[in-house]
Amino acid sequence: MTILFGTLGWRPQSLLPSIRSTEHLDRVLFYHSDHAKSRDARSKVVEFCRSLGVACTAVEVSDAYDLLQAAGQMRADVRKEKAAGAELRFNIAGGTRLMSSAALLVCILEGIPATYVHDETYREIPLPLLRMTYGEGLTPKQRDALAFLVKNREKRFSETALARALGVHKATMNHHLRKLEAVGAIERQSDPADGRRLIIVPAPGIELLLG
Amino acid sequence: MDLRTLIATIGFDERHILPSLRLLPYDRLVLVGGRNSFRSAGFRRLRALEPNLEAARVDVFDLGDCLESIEAWIREARAIGPVRISATGGTKILTMAALLAAFHEGVEAWYCDPDPVRLPVLRGVRLAQAFVPAEQAVMQLLRGRTSLDRFLALVVGRGFARRTVLTAVRSLAAKGLVEQVLESGHTVLRPTPRFGLLRDHFRPEPGKA
Repeated sequence: MTILFGTLGWRPQSLLPSIRSTEHLDRVLFYHSDHAKSRDARSKVVEFCRSLGVACTAVEVSDAYDLLQAAGQMRADVRKEKAAGAELRFNIAGGTRLMSSAALLVCILEGIPATYVHDETYREIPLPLLRMTYGEGLTPKQRDALAFLVKNREKRFSETALARALGVHKATMNHHLRKLEAVGAIERQSDPADGRRLIIVPAPGIELLLG
Repeated sequence: MDLRTLIATIGFDERHILPSLRLLPYDRLVLVGGRNSFRSAGFRRLRALEPNLEAARVDVFDLGDCLESIEAWIREARAIGPVRISATGGTKILTMAALLAAFHEGVEAWYCDPDPVRLPVLRGVRLAQAFVPAEQAVMQLLRGRTSLDRFLALVVGRGFARRTVLTAVRSLAAKGLVEQVLESGHTVLRPTPRFGLLRDHFRPEPGKA
């Protein structure tokens, strides 16, 4: 069972070649903006899928100009289908640059094969992505610490407080935090309430790494 | 002293990259764009603002060319200091290539259109680090379609156990980089199209002769 994800702009031709070329296609799920021309393109894609007898779901992205929101929404859908054991493909050719970038980001983070369709030749171009989850570059312990910080972003944790909250020795926490700081996943900042204290802050946008 | 390099993609409208220039401090600016972008009025205005900027010309409709060029600029710039990428201007293909290059080379990447968004790239974590030594050896040695047995003997000659190399080949197949096919009763190993775009990452680092 293969599910084709896609981004759609004003031209259905950017998505149709992938629908034609995908083997064992079970369902098509694509994202489009609320622009009238994008809705016209959606109707054509839905009609094409219906004629092939392929199930089709169109998702209107409410704000197609917010990268993190668009990527977050796509990633949640991708993870749901991945967990169900489906084979996934993503066509990232259509839509605004931001929508395509969000889709590419999801493909990199989740290790999904992605294709681009050339604007003039309509030829499918595979992108050089690896089928591996990008977040695996961090160890499970590092991911746990990062996930805790992201979940409690509004709270201020010093290194010691974080070690206590996660129930690990502060030397162990220091080791994990130094690694996370080196890869740019966290930053140490002065506590605005107490200048002598350093607090650990997750880097902006890093929540996408965790899913 | 370290020189901070900002590599930014550019199209016809320089206003797309002005937020990046304002928000991301740099000592050296490299603009990556197509031939027509560098002939545009927008580029001339930018050059008036930044006379020392460096222009990297690419075919903005060829993903492979864009990716190769941006990765080469990153490697060159990394030798003299930290590198940042702004993937905001230019064609979609150019933007995608810049994003991919940032993830492949482990450099900080931003999307500033109009608000700055930092992308979740793990700084300093390069693509090759996701591969074990045997996989790296296979990536370095595989040139094209070849008999699996002959290729295994070649890699085993580099000091790896046969079983390790077989595991590496299977792992690379799972990552979508190589394929094993049966031809006239023999197993043949061949690289996939994405293999060529990633091969540069596995070149051995220059060392002592």
